Amino acid sequence: MSLLNISCKQATYLISKKEQRKIGLFDRLTLRLHLGICSLCRRFEKQTGFIIKQAKHTHTEEKLSEEVKEKIVGSISKL
Amino acid sequence: MGPSLQANEWVDKYGDILYNYTLKRVSDKGLAEDIVQDTFLSAWKSRETYKSDASEKTWLFAICKNKIIDHYRKKSTSNVQYAEIDTTSHFFDEAEHWTREDQPNEWGINYHQPVETKEFYGILDYCKKKLQELQHSVFVMKYMDDLSAEEICKVLNISSSNYWVLIHRAKLQLRKCLELNWINS
Ligand SMILES: [Zn+2]
Repeated sequence: MSLLNISCKQATYLISKKEQRKIGLFDRLTLRLHLGICSLCRRFEKQTGFIIKQAKHTHTEEKLSEEVKEKIVGSISKL
Repeated sequence: MGPSLQANEWVDKYGDILYNYTLKRVSDKGLAEDIVQDTFLSAWKSRETYKSDASEKTWLFAICKNKIIDHYRKKSTSNVQYAEIDTTSHFFDEAEHWTREDQPNEWGINYHQPVETKEFYGILDYCKKKLQELQHSVFVMKYMDDLSAEEICKVLNISSSNYWVLIHRAKLQLRKCLELNWINS
């Protein structure tokens, strides 16, 4: 029985491996058993899944300052 | 067109988008500026050999991506040591259960519904930048640039177990940071 029991720390590792499809059959089974009884790890899986899906999208727009642009043009003309 | 005119036009046209792209992948503004400058310098030197079947933009981005990878690689000798530093030991107690302090709380959102507010993206960027540098690199390469685990390990010169530890820590911290600054604010 204890062989099938994993901790939350182990379970959260396995969640990452599962998400990247790098989980073996045995680990898949122990993770499923853990998630069946642990609402905190279920939440972790949902929330990190959400974060990953959001990771690519970003709306932050920053601009290069005029000084840096001039510096770059300057260094090109010195070539 | 004179060379400095053409350089001017380039920097005007592509400077900001290259800078934005780079800034999301390295955590420091000065460093991002240096990488953009390097990109333009390399592009300028090889502009004769540039074949016009790829667009100018695609070509500049390819150079820029390589510069960013070079930056990650340059740091790789010290990476193995950094990978050992545990910044997340407080998340779990001795029995490896979540601590009350850092356990995931209910967010009350639909996890399948993308959030597209400016506020959210601002907080997500803030939280990414707060990650330890190596965690940040791994997270960006994996989830923004879709590199495989094997490629990431090679570039950063880390082991596969280092990789999983870093992914794990990055996720623990991002989740916590979003909960604190977005959900609870
Ligand atoms: Zn658990």
